[in-house]
Amino acid sequence: MIQLSMKRSFCFLSLLFLLTSCFKDEPKNMECDILEAWVEGDDLSSHFFQQSDMRIANVPSDVHQLAFTVKSQAELPLLKVFFSITPGATIVPANGSAQDFSKGPVVYTVTSEDGAYSRRYTVSFTNPAKPAVEESKMKFDFEHYELNKDEKTVRSNRYYVWYEESADGSRNDNVWATGNGGFILAKPNAQPEDYPSVADANGYEGACVRLTTRDTGSWGQTFKKPIAAGNLFFGEFDPQFAFTNTLLTTKMGIPFDEEPTKVTGYYKYRPGEVFTDKDGLEHKDRVDAPSIYAVFYRNQNAQGEKVVLHGDDIRTNELIVSMAEVAELPATDEWKPFEMTFKSQAPVNAEQLKNRGYSMALVFSSSKTGDEFVGAVGSTLYIDKVEITFKPKEENQ
Amino acid sequence: MRRIAGLIFCALSVSLTVSAACEHGCEGNCEHEGLQLRARIGYNIGGTAPLGMPATIRSLEAYHLTPSFMAGADAMLPLGNRWGIQAGLHVENKGMDGEVTTKGYRMKLKMDEDEMEGLYTGHVRQKVRQWMFTLPVQATCRLGSTVMLKAGPYVSLLFSKDFSGYASDGYLRKDDPTGPKVVMGSTEDQWATYEFPDDMRRLQFGVAVGADWQLLQRFGLSLDLSWGLTGLMKSDFKTVEQTLYPIYGTIGIFYRIR
Repeated sequence: MIQLSMKRSFCFLSLLFLLTSCFKDEPKNMECDILEAWVEGDDLSSHFFQQSDMRIANVPSDVHQLAFTVKSQAELPLLKVFFSITPGATIVPANGSAQDFSKGPVVYTVTSEDGAYSRRYTVSFTNPAKPAVEESKMKFDFEHYELNKDEKTVRSNRYYVWYEESADGSRNDNVWATGNGGFILAKPNAQPEDYPSVADANGYEGACVRLTTRDTGSWGQTFKKPIAAGNLFFGEFDPQFAFTNTLLTTKMGIPFDEEPTKVTGYYKYRPGEVFTDKDGLEHKDRVDAPSIYAVFYRNQNAQGEKVVLHGDDIRTNELIVSMAEVAELPATDEWKPFEMTFKSQAPVNAEQLKNRGYSMALVFSSSKTGDEFVGAVGSTLYIDKVEITFKPKEENQ
Repeated sequence: MRRIAGLIFCALSVSLTVSAACEHGCEGNCEHEGLQLRARIGYNIGGTAPLGMPATIRSLEAYHLTPSFMAGADAMLPLGNRWGIQAGLHVENKGMDGEVTTKGYRMKLKMDEDEMEGLYTGHVRQKVRQWMFTLPVQATCRLGSTVMLKAGPYVSLLFSKDFSGYASDGYLRKDDPTGPKVVMGSTEDQWATYEFPDDMRRLQFGVAVGADWQLLQRFGLSLDLSWGLTGLMKSDFKTVEQTLYPIYGTIGIFYRIR
């Protein structure tokens, strides 16, 4: 007891004199993430479309499926996959061990340094899955949606996610992304219908997507991000920077092996009543407008690294080869068609195109300047029956 | 409970030491008169901290001074040559403004009804304001003709309180270390603030020990130490893992009115 009280007194004294002798040894890491994954091996590049497909960098913290794209899954030899993981964590099967991915995904389990936590990752090598293209057209009807099943978010409330069916009938979750994964951080108590991106049963035909600019509540105000525009785009959403640099949360674009020429669809739009800026101040002279645009870009840089455009460079990156934008989207309560044509800025290399060396970002937003947190809460954009027209194959050759 | 027991033991051992010293204290030439009154002002320095720093708090980066002033008066009734009993009323602030770095520190960030809970790794600035009325009741004893030791319990009633801060330059893993990572930046619009004044206890009690050293006929210096036995926050407050106890030292001067 004496010793105990002496220790306390010592601790107390050090508090008083601002010493740090009370600080204990550093605890072991509790995290167990895969940060990066890559394939090593001679002569393996022939199985991949591009060298950059052999590496998945910057794995978002909420992702637990790592999908490499290969030309033919069935013809894969044993592959050694290497991982960069949280310092101190361990991974099973062993890092860099040869595994057979030809018959399906392999599950890796990462266990934290302190042994208390683990995460399961599914690693797969699959042929490129993409929605069916018929007569040079790819159609999106937005009939495939559900409330997200991620175990982490199911504990709280859930939000809508969309998926597509590939040509072979398999499910493809890697087409559409939304900012819903960021909204849940600001408004954890929101109901699925209160999110910015929601499925709506009353589409032009069947269901449609309803994008609404939402108030992000007190969290949003704190971080000077008072609104969240409803958005839907080709790519991936990484909520990591939801409060700091939102432009980095939107990883826009998915690889294509065909060149788009035109995007058409149907929309309805009604702007919200009160137009506000980043500080939440009202601008009576301004009216909100939606935004529909598409960008086609080279997805590998001169160094052979994979490139994904974000909100900050989606219109300015030098790898952009063509862009399309719907010039005007007048407010309407009736479904109206829209159309946009790609304007070329640089030539497309046919060989690189064949190897999925280009990505297309297709973006819908309920507030044009939503990425700057300027817009009107309540602005609502409905989207349905979207169709992408590609250059006929012969022209590409 | 063991902690409380340890604390009480600690306080007891201090008072025992005090009383042991008193036995050899005043040697008959001490003043011996009626009620004595002392007016005091002082400055509190210390903090509200867990007893035994958790390993998830890694370092103290900065400690900023707060307006933690104390003013009040004590009445002391001598009971014989050495001993006496003293009671007083003080107005004081036990403030804190410190910056620490954490690793996997469990915290809950709350804005109105929207909460975000998880494990935070990064920089945290914690501010505490506790303006209060404190009523100490202490046994006193003279040590020679100029020094008076004192020890006893106190009760405090808070009338202005704040417990707030922000998390910056780090990241939160939502819910647990496998949850989504939320990065906090280094500028005001990129960090997460929190505020829990309503979760602070209004009534605190603890023990205090101290010494008055009469330098001049009426003026003197005082040094006090108060150790809160009640946590800073209400017991149902789970935002911060550990119970935080207010532990402060007071450096002051007093004026003997009579």
